[in-house]
Amino acid sequence: MEILTGNELTSGGTVYLDASGTWVESLAAARVFSNEETAERDAALAATKAGGRVISLEIEEVTLEQGVITPKRLRERIRAAGPTAPLTLKGEIYDRQHLGEDGHVSI
Amino acid sequence: MYRYDEFDAAFVMGRTAQFADQVKRRLSGEMTEEQFRPLRLMNGLYLQLHAYMLRIAVPYGTLSGKQMRMFAHIARTYDRGYGHFTTRQNIQFNWPRLKDIPAILEELASVEMHAIQTSGNCIRNVTADHFAGAAADEIIDPRPIAEILRQWSSLHPEFSYLPRKFKIAVTGAPNDRAAIRFHDIGLQAATNAAGDIGWEVWVGGGLGRTPMIGKLINSYVPNEHLLAYLESIMRVYNRYGRRDNKYKARIKILVHEEGLETIKGQVEAEFAEVRGGVLTLPAEEVDRITAYFAPPAFKTQPATKIDVAYQSIIDPAYGRWLDHNINSHREPGYVSVTISLKPVGGAPGDATDKQMDDIADIAERYGFDELRVTHEQNLVLPHVAISDLRAVYEALVATGFADGNTGLITDMICCPGLDFCALANARSIPLAQEISRKFAEPKRQAEIGELKIKISGCINACGHHHVGHIGILGVEKKGGELYQITLGGDATEQAAVGKIIGPGFEAEHVPGAIETLVDTYIARRESADETFIQAYRRLGEAPFKEALYGNA
Repeated sequence: MEILTGNELTSGGTVYLDASGTWVESLAAARVFSNEETAERDAALAATKAGGRVISLEIEEVTLEQGVITPKRLRERIRAAGPTAPLTLKGEIYDRQHLGEDGHVSI
Repeated sequence: MYRYDEFDAAFVMGRTAQFADQVKRRLSGEMTEEQFRPLRLMNGLYLQLHAYMLRIAVPYGTLSGKQMRMFAHIARTYDRGYGHFTTRQNIQFNWPRLKDIPAILEELASVEMHAIQTSGNCIRNVTADHFAGAAADEIIDPRPIAEILRQWSSLHPEFSYLPRKFKIAVTGAPNDRAAIRFHDIGLQAATNAAGDIGWEVWVGGGLGRTPMIGKLINSYVPNEHLLAYLESIMRVYNRYGRRDNKYKARIKILVHEEGLETIKGQVEAEFAEVRGGVLTLPAEEVDRITAYFAPPAFKTQPATKIDVAYQSIIDPAYGRWLDHNINSHREPGYVSVTISLKPVGGAPGDATDKQMDDIADIAERYGFDELRVTHEQNLVLPHVAISDLRAVYEALVATGFADGNTGLITDMICCPGLDFCALANARSIPLAQEISRKFAEPKRQAEIGELKIKISGCINACGHHHVGHIGILGVEKKGGELYQITLGGDATEQAAVGKIIGPGFEAEHVPGAIETLVDTYIARRESADETFIQAYRRLGEAPFKEALYGNA
């Protein structure tokens, strides 16, 4: 099983393609493509590339257990959750990047 | 400090305006990512795991309070309130938005800074000894020649598309604090028989997946011909460096594959052509640039001495700071102070906007408005009167950077690793934090003495693990992280590449493994004066290997 992920152009934030064709921040909302859906996956990828608003596009392998999507690669789990180092010097939890007002992208 | 002349100001302003237009065209969709990517990289803008990252050059690691305040302002206004000082004497911001980059670059230009050539296959920020212009052991201040190299290499049309990136480091002292033997070109001040000061030139050093110690290609190049000589090396590299394989494209591979004598012959042939030409440094221009680096107006100080042993009793933390964070100065009554950016449990090299502002205040009040960034991810106040040390220390206590741990086990170099970096295979910051906590007890650190741990989250070796007395390299194994430990690396004039000691460790076992190595060293050292690296050189790897893995 696979998902599509990338970085939104203006914020650089991590985004996932959801079932409605919108690129969203939440991994949980990502559309999971089965092995039989490679044509749909590739079409979505091509449409996104053509739009140019999501960059560094990747196809990522995931597992889906009890409705929870988990990327196989640690790198992707960190992309989804943000830096794991406990706290910044300001004592704040490292948060991931969020989309700005101009960062909402659909294909 | 150097001040931009009209040419510097014009090219930085021109590039800033040009990139602002490119960003605008990218955001409007007029430019594709394929077209934009090489342009943003030329301006120091990367895309990392979570966001863009902007890398700003601190030329030869020298900056003023005003420039440090600008970093604080950028952190506060455009980023998340902190910045990360790197092993290349740069600063990186991890969370800027693309639309803000033109404004950031414009603000940087207002304090004579930029992000040009902090990426790409060009000559990168020239780095230097962080005690330049201050150290007691210095033959010559390397900053004037570093500034000349900055001017020569900035937007150099012939060297903007090299086979691969190119890094130059320079030191004016015999004690190498700039790791010059691990750069594409390393320069060390040298004196000839007539007493003139010129440069030893080392070539083909580097870390990454193929670590190599630089080779001495010329033991004395007169100062006036240094640019011609370096241009000759660059031309040979540009002509013969491999472009078919990025992993074999650095000059270290060319020197290794062709042999030093072949490369030397080619460089000498080129040098014979260009020597005495337009690249000859005019004495008046050298003098003009050197004048910018004139020593500050030192005052004759009363013969101030600090009884460190006494201070250590009445205020142990201050005593430790005096013991470890002070470097001898060439001017009587003054010292250089290292500001450790390695508080226990912190991310090595990080500083908040408030801390950067505070450090700018301290530099302006007590340090002739001068600061340095070190390749070991600390900051330096190069000129502090001994009589002001207590006041400087107290100001640093207030800002949270008064740890007296410079050169000790908790003063680690650490790359951003898989928490931030798109290239990394494993995390490094959390590991550094764990090791730091394990060895937090000051007495324990002092008992261990000088020990350099360097951590990289991938084979590209931004964390310099190859030259750590103890090096830690994170690799990916079966979807998880594994850490290889190397021993015996050394970035100084006694340059050595560390050797892998045995099978790797999972993250949770690394701090324990480090403790085993430290305990072995303490048990085997001849005295407390024998450092870890000295003991390792005497003993070899066997006792350390046995301690980690047993006899099997």
